[in-house]
Amino acid sequence: MTRHQKIYWAGFCVVMALLIIAPLVLPEFWRRFLTEILIWGLLAMSSDILIGYTGMVSFGHSAFFGLGMYGAAAALLIVSPPNLWLAIIFGLAGAGTVALFVAYFSTRLRDIYFAITTLIFSQIFYVIIFTWTAMTGGENGLTFRRPALSFFGLFSTPFDTATLHWFVLAVVAASYLILRRIMQSPFGMVLQSIRENEPRTRAIGYPVERYKIVAVMLSGLFAGLAGVLYAIQNRFAAPDFVYFLVSGETVIFNVMGGIGTLLGPIVGAGFFLLLRELLGRLFGEQFPYLIPLGFIFIAMIIFLPQGLLGFARRWLNR
Amino acid sequence: MLTTELLTVRFGGLAALSQVNFSVQRDQIHAIIGPNGAGKSTFFNCLTGVLRPTSGRIVFNGDEITGLPANVISQKGIARSYQITSIMPNATVRENVRIAAQSRRHAWNMISHHSNFADINEKAVTALESVGLLGKADEFAANLSHGEQRNLEIGIALATEPKLLCLDEPTAGMSAAETHDTMQLVRKIRKDLTILIVEHDMQVVMELADRITVLDYGEILAEGTPQEIQKNPKVLEVYLKT
Repeated sequence: MTRHQKIYWAGFCVVMALLIIAPLVLPEFWRRFLTEILIWGLLAMSSDILIGYTGMVSFGHSAFFGLGMYGAAAALLIVSPPNLWLAIIFGLAGAGTVALFVAYFSTRLRDIYFAITTLIFSQIFYVIIFTWTAMTGGENGLTFRRPALSFFGLFSTPFDTATLHWFVLAVVAASYLILRRIMQSPFGMVLQSIRENEPRTRAIGYPVERYKIVAVMLSGLFAGLAGVLYAIQNRFAAPDFVYFLVSGETVIFNVMGGIGTLLGPIVGAGFFLLLRELLGRLFGEQFPYLIPLGFIFIAMIIFLPQGLLGFARRWLNR
Repeated sequence: MLTTELLTVRFGGLAALSQVNFSVQRDQIHAIIGPNGAGKSTFFNCLTGVLRPTSGRIVFNGDEITGLPANVISQKGIARSYQITSIMPNATVRENVRIAAQSRRHAWNMISHHSNFADINEKAVTALESVGLLGKADEFAANLSHGEQRNLEIGIALATEPKLLCLDEPTAGMSAAETHDTMQLVRKIRKDLTILIVEHDMQVVMELADRITVLDYGEILAEGTPQEIQKNPKVLEVYLKT
């Protein structure tokens, strides 16, 4: 192991240890809060593949997140007793199908045109979900029971906030390691090459569109996984989560935390949600927290354009 | 090795290239010269799939490649360097050529770390060596001098292991010393390559090329050895009036 790897893995273990211990020492509210940060972090991390690595800004990640959510809802409502793994499979299938659809039509476009197309697609799915009341519950969404944490008949235990946190942590950590490896692989290098210089990448022999389609699929699947986790944590699926505000927040998490780092978006999500919570607590629930948050965001863009973890970008990807 | 038949490109009413019949022989250095706007870059863009010709055919090693996308043409063995430097400035010199070498092997691998492929690394080192940038392999491409970036441009093209290398003004903006070095470089890499070169610098063309084609207003004005071209009255007229 090189020195870089030693430091990296030592740091990784310390952070993991802290996150594993956290639910044992945190009160109930903050335990749930931390789990939620991880879930939003996973969503933001999935979109980092497009924003930070491939250079395509997606404003449609709410669609993948939402379809993961409704896919999980379908599995949990249809099959009795509700099964955790079936929920994941249904959620991934839902998000994957939508991702393939969006990828096919949007990857031939670039820059702002790509962003707008993803935004429009996500809004189409929002309208479908919002109006198809018989199937999706419309505005009220769907509520369901939480599945038990089962392991293929070996054991089964109901989720409490601590075990749910550990489960989410395991999924997010595994997703991070998988995505990090993919971004370091030859395939990941092609994506970064597309970000740096798309015409040149095509000229040296890469079918750029095909790589972009796979990148959108990959990103959509992990966003869907985040949706499944959110559905399991909160026991509901609602059209609000397919709305473009969620996509916008996802982009903000990325910019705040540092694009192209995978970890940055998780840190960005934590920073944003914590700030919002603290502002709410300091000034009361009615406080228009978005105003100071907006100023902080603008200040960060000016003084820290690389994001919180941007300084470590190359180091984290080595 | 490469032939074009009646190759024509029109932008609206303007014919950038009209009915160009052209061919390059294997293992030669073939230069294309001509005044600004003669259609040299348009010709290159057709060969490398950036532009679709309006009519005509391009045949490379017996395969018709007319209108194929740039990535397919690259895989068939035609590489190009750009007149306006087109590298990846935020990547190291090594990464720049590594990604080009990788386009021929393991490109879709998602499981292994990219540095674990000895064959790719070896090809990248070979390409860097032949353009004399091995010593700067771990510097960021943005930090190279203009001349070095131009040579990296050639290195990236070489790393795709082409059969035909198209150089678009490789000495553009270079000092006399840098131009001399680049000429040495082209002589060195020519041994298993066919090279097509667009160049403004007459001295470079006359010294390097085995054959020269002169384009003017999208048509072939003359073709021959450097000696023949120097004596051709039509060529002299075009160059004197500009």
